[in-house]
Amino acid sequence: MSGPVVIVEPSPDTPLVWFDISIRGGASADPIGIEGLHRHAALLARRGAGTRDRAALDETLDSLGAALDISVSRDSVTLSGLALSRHLDAVIALCADVLADPLFSEEEHARLLRETPQVLDEIRDDDSALATRWFDWLCCPTHPYGRTSLGTESSLLRIERQAALELWKKEVVANNLVIGLAGDIDEATAARVVQRLTERLPRGNRPTTIVEDTGLDTEARSGRRLILVDKPDRTQAQIRIGHLALRYGHPDTPAISIAEAALGGMFSSRLMQEIRVKRGWSYGAGCALRRSRLPHWFEIWTAAGIDVSGPCVQLTLELFADYAANGPTDDEVDFARSYLVGAMPFHVATARQRMQLAVRDAVFELPAGYTANLPQVVAQLSADEVRAACARHLRPEDTVTVAVTTAEQAKDALSGASAGPLTVVSHDEY
Amino acid sequence: MAQSWHLEAEASAGRGVTARRFRLANGLGLIAAIDRRAPIVALQTWFRVGSRHERPGATGMAHLFEHLMFGQTEQLPPGEFDRMVERTGGESNAATWVDWTYYRLSLPARDLALGVRLEAERMQHLVLETGPVESERDVVTNERRERVEDDVDGWLDEQLMAHAFTEHPYRWPTIGWMEDIRALALPDIRAFYRTWYAPNNATIVCVGDFDEQQLRELIEQHYGHIPPAQLPEVSHVTEPEQTRERIVRAPKPIATDRLLIGYKAPGQDDRDWAALEIVSTLLAGCPSARLHRKLVIQDESASSVDAQLTPFRDPSLLRLAVTTARGHSADEIVQTIDRELATLRETPPSASEVEKAKALAETDFWSSLVDVDGKAEALGHYEAALGDFRKLDVIAKRLTAVTAEDVARVVRSYLVPAKRTIVIAEPEDPDAPESEEDGE
Repeated sequence: MSGPVVIVEPSPDTPLVWFDISIRGGASADPIGIEGLHRHAALLARRGAGTRDRAALDETLDSLGAALDISVSRDSVTLSGLALSRHLDAVIALCADVLADPLFSEEEHARLLRETPQVLDEIRDDDSALATRWFDWLCCPTHPYGRTSLGTESSLLRIERQAALELWKKEVVANNLVIGLAGDIDEATAARVVQRLTERLPRGNRPTTIVEDTGLDTEARSGRRLILVDKPDRTQAQIRIGHLALRYGHPDTPAISIAEAALGGMFSSRLMQEIRVKRGWSYGAGCALRRSRLPHWFEIWTAAGIDVSGPCVQLTLELFADYAANGPTDDEVDFARSYLVGAMPFHVATARQRMQLAVRDAVFELPAGYTANLPQVVAQLSADEVRAACARHLRPEDTVTVAVTTAEQAKDALSGASAGPLTVVSHDEY
Repeated sequence: MAQSWHLEAEASAGRGVTARRFRLANGLGLIAAIDRRAPIVALQTWFRVGSRHERPGATGMAHLFEHLMFGQTEQLPPGEFDRMVERTGGESNAATWVDWTYYRLSLPARDLALGVRLEAERMQHLVLETGPVESERDVVTNERRERVEDDVDGWLDEQLMAHAFTEHPYRWPTIGWMEDIRALALPDIRAFYRTWYAPNNATIVCVGDFDEQQLRELIEQHYGHIPPAQLPEVSHVTEPEQTRERIVRAPKPIATDRLLIGYKAPGQDDRDWAALEIVSTLLAGCPSARLHRKLVIQDESASSVDAQLTPFRDPSLLRLAVTTARGHSADEIVQTIDRELATLRETPPSASEVEKAKALAETDFWSSLVDVDGKAEALGHYEAALGDFRKLDVIAKRLTAVTAEDVARVVRSYLVPAKRTIVIAEPEDPDAPESEEDGE
């Protein structure tokens, strides 16, 4: 590789410029036992850089009407910025400091270590977020995506400032960046911005810590398992059901896109119709293949009243088993195909959307335009090809089910849901 | 045919986009804004009916329609509305709040005519029978469980409104009280539809890639014959002035205290609203905001603090939401907030601090107009809540005119303990029953 991947989407619609700077790596590259390291390093970098400590950096950005946020996915750390175009140079200068010259102060390191457990508290207070956190952990515990980006109470204790600094220096190299710019910016300005962002960075090589798509046993058979995350006073069960499946970008991705739309990607889909419309058991139900660089989960979600949580899990598993065995009908494939082809203009309507899709494709190491061009491939697929892909990739007998609810009321019904051996855990133990 | 329309107003709705409001003889409003940057349209129908138009004992009615309106009509069997929209690649959704309800279609530009036909059909010919109503009632009760009963933030929000307002209809939740949702009777549901779902109570907002004259012809073809309804006189309840602080506490299965504070604030069209919006940003609207810096960074007594000035037609609330950090209490947070507000009352912020909030407001303004859905929502909100989509620009200009003295003045006028309601959720303790303190 030579230099960063750069994506520019000019549009003068508003006097705003958005930029995403993705650093390949992400939580899947956290060392085992030190989960949360990438997040910690990225947040620390944002808390003071160049000549400005945290307060000065915040004050300067806010005074420019700008935002500079950090997000951490399994595959990357991303600095997302928003600036009024008249202040773009000043905002980019600050961002360049964050990339090349972060302070990593001892004070902020210690403060962040005290703060992060409280983010865990907030997740425990939120049933939906809690269900997702447990599902991500237990769906396939040996998979790199089973590592929490946030960390755990114990892994946070092992995070050291020096390790965070070294990780930042190793991964924030020009060749490891994907830079997207969109909005009120022309190509010449974009080139100048990229130069400014990377001129103080080493070219570097792709860090060896990034997990490669080898040795991941996506065919592992685990049987069904059910984890009841016990939380008091619930009136519902937040439910997640799924298993490790394929990589976004796998040759079967277009077919699975149709399959997920027909099963749970639309209001007209089977899950929504069976669970919400016919039975009124839930406000919603859906499914998706998680988009990532490596094979990831195929996940079904819903939230059912506690009195019907057992029947709801059982019905969902039956629907999933039928779907895996028989796939969607010809009519369902035709409908989902029409939906996906027609929906793409909404996903690429703004410059920011186009930029973000392109940045994501680049982080996933997909060909340029992969996602934007997917509908053209989807349009050519037959129903038989979709059904064959379902048979290859959907594994209803190997699902992990996570239900966040109150064990005292729901345990017996969930035990009888044919979801596999039931384990009860406390909501605050992870 | 398009000669039946009366052009009432026009104004900018972002760079290179002009919004124009027309009206049909039956009272139907149309706001059209052409934006050809993508081959799509946002088609939204805004009804000037929200939870404020309900009565005690029948709360949740407006929101129930947000569900029922996707059901069977005289021409469309159950589920067909969604299927027709989704087959195009489009999406449909709806939202209900205190002052309005709106129905949103995002469609490929070539399918605009389909959207107009579908919306006109359900404005006139919704089939309201026991089966589908009961099914949606179950769905709404589950929505309420998810968003309120099992969500501490939803519970805080509901309790704040219920205690901050004693007379005004803003006191009940938009989703409705659970017992009311279960009891809404079919004759009342039908009456609500006949009363409010009428052309003279609606404005269609269309933003995107279309021909304006063709749109007007389409709408006239599908809506022009619908007679206006006899809209009931809406009684404008004046909330009595709050003169004492109100505090509500309850145990919840949470890790640390959470609190939501609501200070009485004016409606969105009041001239003080803009100054309070700047105050909201200065307190907790950005990383360098005063309360964020004090509570989250310096004292580490909170893990998060947010501020929001609710954009209601009638007097509303400036809300501060705080999640306390481990080892700290809601009472301690309230004391710190009081000290920070006292400082702001006594010493106006610097001009640069006010300019900072204005710069952030400018970014927010443009961010809200990035796509066709956002533009339509902004136009629809101001038209439905404040009666004129041009308020979008008026309020943006008011924000730019706010001074440091304005900030100090509105803090002195509005952000005082006697005019606030505090709701606190505390980690469960079996010996601590739900309580209310210091009620008036």
